[in-house]
Amino acid sequence: MRQPKLIGLVGLLATLALIVIPLALFLPRETRAAEDPWAAVPVREPHTDHTDLMPGPYDSGSQVTQRCLECHEEAAEQLMATVHWTWESEPVQIEGRPEPVAIGKKTALNNFCIGIQSNWPDCTACHAGYGWEDADFDFSEPTTVDCLVCHDNSGTYVKGEAGIPVEGVDLAYVAQSVGAPTRENCGSCHFSGGGGNGVKHGDLDSHLIHPSETVDVHMGRYDLVCTDCHQTTEHRIRGRSITVSLDTQGQIACTDCHSAAPHADVRLDAHSASVACQTCHIPTGAVRDPTKMFWDWSTAGQDREQDERSYLKIKGSFVYESDFVPEYSWYSGIRDRYLLGDPIDPSQPTQINPLAGDIADPRARIFPFKVHRARQPYDAVYNILLQPKTFGEGGFWTEFDWDQALRLGSQAVGLPYSGQYGFADTVMVWPITHMVQPAESALGCEACHSSGGRLDWKALGYYGDPLTWGGRFEPALRAELQER
Amino acid sequence: MRNALRLLRRPPQTLLAAGLLLIALAAAAFLLTKTASASSWLGPQPQASPLHPRVPLLDEDGQPVLLSAKPVSTIATCGACHDADFIAGHSYHADAGLTDFGDPGSVPPSRPWDTSPGLFGRWDPLLYRYLSPAGDARLDLGTAAWIQLYGGRHVGGGPAVTSRAGTPLEQLPVAAAGPFVPTNGMRRAAPGGAAADPETHVLDPQDGEVRAWDWEASGAVEMNCFLCHTPAPDNAARLQALQEGRFAWAASATLLGTGLIEPTAEGYRWKTSSFEASGEPKEGLLAIQDPGDANCGLCHGLVQDKLEQPVSLAGCSPETYRTVTSGQIVSGQRVSDSGMNLMGKDELTRSWDVHAERGMSCTDCHYSLNNPVYDQESEASRPEHMTFDPRRLGLGEYLYQPLHEFARGQSAQGALAPELQGTMRGCESCHSLQATHDWLPYKERHVEALRCEVCHISKQYANALQQIDWTVLGPEGLASTTCRGLQQDASSDSDLITGFEPALLPQADAQGATDLVPLNLVSAWYWVYGDPPRPVRLIDLQAAWFEEEAYAPQVLAAFDRDGDGVLGDNELRIDTPPKQALISGRLAALGLQDPRIVAEVIPYSINHGVAAGEWAVQDCRVCHAEDSRLAQTVLLASYQPGGVTPQLVPGSRVAFQGELYSDDGGSLYYRPDTSQQGAYVFGHDRLVWIDRLGGITFLAVLGGVFTHGGMRFASSLRKRRDPVKTQTVYMYAVYERLWHWLQTFTLVALLFTGLVIHKPDLFAVFSFRGVVLVHNILAAILVVNAALALFYHLASGEIRQFIPRPVGFFDQAIVQAKFYLRGIFQREPHPLARTPQEKLNPLQQVTYLAILNVLLPLQVISGILIWGAERWPELAGRLGGLPFLAPFHTLIAWLFAAFIVLHVYLTTTGHSPLTSLRAMTLGWDEVEAHASQEGDPS
Repeated sequence: MRQPKLIGLVGLLATLALIVIPLALFLPRETRAAEDPWAAVPVREPHTDHTDLMPGPYDSGSQVTQRCLECHEEAAEQLMATVHWTWESEPVQIEGRPEPVAIGKKTALNNFCIGIQSNWPDCTACHAGYGWEDADFDFSEPTTVDCLVCHDNSGTYVKGEAGIPVEGVDLAYVAQSVGAPTRENCGSCHFSGGGGNGVKHGDLDSHLIHPSETVDVHMGRYDLVCTDCHQTTEHRIRGRSITVSLDTQGQIACTDCHSAAPHADVRLDAHSASVACQTCHIPTGAVRDPTKMFWDWSTAGQDREQDERSYLKIKGSFVYESDFVPEYSWYSGIRDRYLLGDPIDPSQPTQINPLAGDIADPRARIFPFKVHRARQPYDAVYNILLQPKTFGEGGFWTEFDWDQALRLGSQAVGLPYSGQYGFADTVMVWPITHMVQPAESALGCEACHSSGGRLDWKALGYYGDPLTWGGRFEPALRAELQER
Repeated sequence: MRNALRLLRRPPQTLLAAGLLLIALAAAAFLLTKTASASSWLGPQPQASPLHPRVPLLDEDGQPVLLSAKPVSTIATCGACHDADFIAGHSYHADAGLTDFGDPGSVPPSRPWDTSPGLFGRWDPLLYRYLSPAGDARLDLGTAAWIQLYGGRHVGGGPAVTSRAGTPLEQLPVAAAGPFVPTNGMRRAAPGGAAADPETHVLDPQDGEVRAWDWEASGAVEMNCFLCHTPAPDNAARLQALQEGRFAWAASATLLGTGLIEPTAEGYRWKTSSFEASGEPKEGLLAIQDPGDANCGLCHGLVQDKLEQPVSLAGCSPETYRTVTSGQIVSGQRVSDSGMNLMGKDELTRSWDVHAERGMSCTDCHYSLNNPVYDQESEASRPEHMTFDPRRLGLGEYLYQPLHEFARGQSAQGALAPELQGTMRGCESCHSLQATHDWLPYKERHVEALRCEVCHISKQYANALQQIDWTVLGPEGLASTTCRGLQQDASSDSDLITGFEPALLPQADAQGATDLVPLNLVSAWYWVYGDPPRPVRLIDLQAAWFEEEAYAPQVLAAFDRDGDGVLGDNELRIDTPPKQALISGRLAALGLQDPRIVAEVIPYSINHGVAAGEWAVQDCRVCHAEDSRLAQTVLLASYQPGGVTPQLVPGSRVAFQGELYSDDGGSLYYRPDTSQQGAYVFGHDRLVWIDRLGGITFLAVLGGVFTHGGMRFASSLRKRRDPVKTQTVYMYAVYERLWHWLQTFTLVALLFTGLVIHKPDLFAVFSFRGVVLVHNILAAILVVNAALALFYHLASGEIRQFIPRPVGFFDQAIVQAKFYLRGIFQREPHPLARTPQEKLNPLQQVTYLAILNVLLPLQVISGILIWGAERWPELAGRLGGLPFLAPFHTLIAWLFAAFIVLHVYLTTTGHSPLTSLRAMTLGWDEVEAHASQEGDPS
């Protein structure tokens, strides 16, 4: 009786279908499951214990590197192709400059300690290599690569002048502890830029080593490490610092992991056409330790009361601020960069790294920045910013003689020096992208859309508050922007 | 006939396809009816207008104050360009009830001693002082004293300028001559004489003497434009000027922060350096602007529009009046960023009020009623063919005569300007219910029964007044007050604010429809005396309680339980008849006739402090559960002075629908009763007797079938049956089987989902909303299935089988009944023949008739009406509404459940227990061959 049995089964299925299909049609759909940002976070390799692999003892960092290279044959070559080694980018064509420019910490000026040239042994303590103590460092020697600065997991590895490990570091112990880079590894250099903890970036300081979730939600609540966002393949670390780069290739973005429309309210999603994620999700910079906001080199050399946070004889006077409200600007990339020898107008503040992007550029977004203002030496005759020699013999930090420092520095970089110097105002912008706050602490509407709001609408190019005037893609403003 | 049947014995696939097609068509039709509409309106931000010209400040004679050194007159100054008389004459803020002023008790709805529906004449137990009508022997507040006390919450104009008869106050004759004494404007008048005229006399609170008031010296309080229209009005200076009796200088004092005026020993002086020669203030000193939230907040409660300053509120005092009566705080700041000592503050990452957070201001909703930007023609008066009428007041015309009658809602505590109630556009004029509440089943029903605020203001994060007891006086000579939402800690300075959930009471709107609104209920107890009744004056109350500066010895003796010489909070209560008699005796001794305790409950509407999205109530079980929010008990008072139970104050349009009861500790509670409100809340309300009856029936049937079946089983073991010859007959066509099983599954699922809806607490694992939706969808399937089946039976004639034939009905019924009761245990063969043309015995026919043609239609109709309670509320209401339909539906559900048990059991009475099941599944039945059958015409 196969036929009847079949009909029983078919009938049962038909009956159930007549119930299930209407249910499926009419029951409301669940809202789309939030895309899981964890899917984009790289899977961490399991740790390999190097205790037996690095027996030691090691007399120098290079010996350790040689041992590393016995197994990790390509590691040094890979690193030597990246900017962490070369401290210089590939040449990039910039609008307004005749030839492509290679920029990097190797030759760039900033408005903190100004530049490394002539000051190598001190500045190159943060180089991922050993022995860069003058202009003649051999960048092609693999054994001078420093594996330990990034891979030390013991916390006892300290680099000194020219990147050589200091006395007292047990290289064997350090070598045996190696593993994937932790926040402490990256932070050993990047937190202390500018000569102290949290001085330079405004959003990177030692609080990020063991942060609470109100310091940074990614590193605090979720214990992400730097390489989870700055994803690395073959030692090429993704990311671009806008202070020493001219392009945005390989730049990382929030949307690498997060959905572009993650908010419950559609109006918040609509903001992402003009506002960067960081603007609302990082309400203040330097949430714990203060950061340097102003540096006046011209007052250096005086014998007066010294204080880490207000005046040092070797450096001058500063202003520090913590929990500061960032300055906001349109940003779609770097427009230009002050290069050695560029002329300046000493009566105006010189923009060291002017930003590209404005209200009419659909790729531009409003980003938060730390703006560091400084007064630094320039040549009063040639009107160029000067590179002083600060560290070492004849340097300002020992002799307190600007003229000598500037002459020695200019020799080192090959710039003319007239003998007359002054101090010019300079401005440098640093992006605020770390110290992200939990979502519930993000800025509310009134933070910007109110009479005391953070954004200067007219300065940004709007007629007024886009809440009432309409945004830049609204008909009225869009038409005018197209004309501009 | 046979041809019809043969038609239906098509391959099942065809029928399946046909059925699915039908369903698909139904689905398409349903989806097409879904529409969405959305509209939103963003208003402009208030800011100091760069457009307003600098105008000379003029005094009442029209002279620049720079020259005359007199107080500024807003009517003269602003009236140079704006129609100030029109403004002052058309504003209920200024009028405060003066135009409706009448004899005590004659102004409805009111207490017996209220003289107007507004601030000027409607007695307020929170401030307690009573504006005496003319002719009262005991003067409490005269008009001048009213201005001193209430003037802080009054913008000026109205009764502060005009007498009750309509004449200017400054022209009222003074009682006796004498020099003006600047400190109080009061002069000694000859004491004695009959009832003092309250418009020209005041009661001196120091000594209880009645004194005359020199209006000419004090001046009147003009409507104070600067209070609302300047960015930083000095309200404290203004209050001080009022309290000192310098009424004419109140508006000038408001400008104290601008640098235009400075205080001196004698009063105020205009700073000539701040003015141009023409009398205008210098550039940048006086900014005139649209009213900002902070301006409204000067009187209307705690408004904090500066984000950097943490909101903070401490204590139980009536300074921020609107906040202490309702717990409302209007601010865009996050609750977690505030400075309040609030329990659980860290998790409250929501803003105090989402509208304030999103940049709206008070005037976006409470706009001037002739404002051409905001005012829209009401839906009712707009002709159907017009969606927008651009003809409106010009901006210049509006600026000349802006109507200061502001759009208002329907607050329970405001009896003023009832004709303007509900002029404020409601939530639905900006928000679309359809677009935002997709997840909510029965949207319209919810909105009809509940105001939006019920779910969107479910918790107040501040404390508010709970009880104010004027039957006793604290050491400062004021009432004993208790706040709700506050844990007072005597040991520390800061009390912990726990917040509270508002009481939900039904309120009737202008059209008479009631829905639940959130309110704060303040209970007040106080003494009244005399006939016509009056509240006992504060001065008399103080005289009864105090002697010199301390409590009278008899009072102390009676109330001081622990004998420590201090009357603590728990001792300051009239909780025994002797205490009441003592105080009432002392009041009577002052000459007050028949002093008695009266109590009232004043409801204060809660409309601000709106929460959005995830902070609003989204869990169905908050209301649809045993422990429903809608039936949540409200603590009205922790004790009842004099044992008096309070009544709701008249005029609030709010009603108690529930029970007021006291517990052992003397606390007074209100427990709402949803059935009294004419509501039926699924999951909370039920008629217990129906559940009991249904349950008993179900269990009885269950017991019966187990007994019967057990007996059959026992007999089958005992006795072998005589072999009976059977025939395999094709009994049920494919369609019949399909509709039967579809009916079965949907019915069982409906019963189960219905049970979950009825008792959600037992089935908390299911989502209430999901179960309701599934129930409705299944019900639709059931109805379609039943309708199609009905059609089939009618069209094919099969319906004949279900109709009992009258001839031989009873005989056959009895025969069949006997078989079930006895024969079946003897293992007898079935008495009646069964053929495809006669499938049902008379008992079955009767049963199915009842089930399919009575109970099922009733259940379907009651179900449709329950679902339709939101689509056709009048029809559902006429048939009793949900309170009848829902229990009826429940009862029938129980009967269906019992039927299913019985039916399933009886299917086992075929030739073998599974025969009928197989027949209904596969179509072929084993029918016992009967002698009578062979001769039966088919």
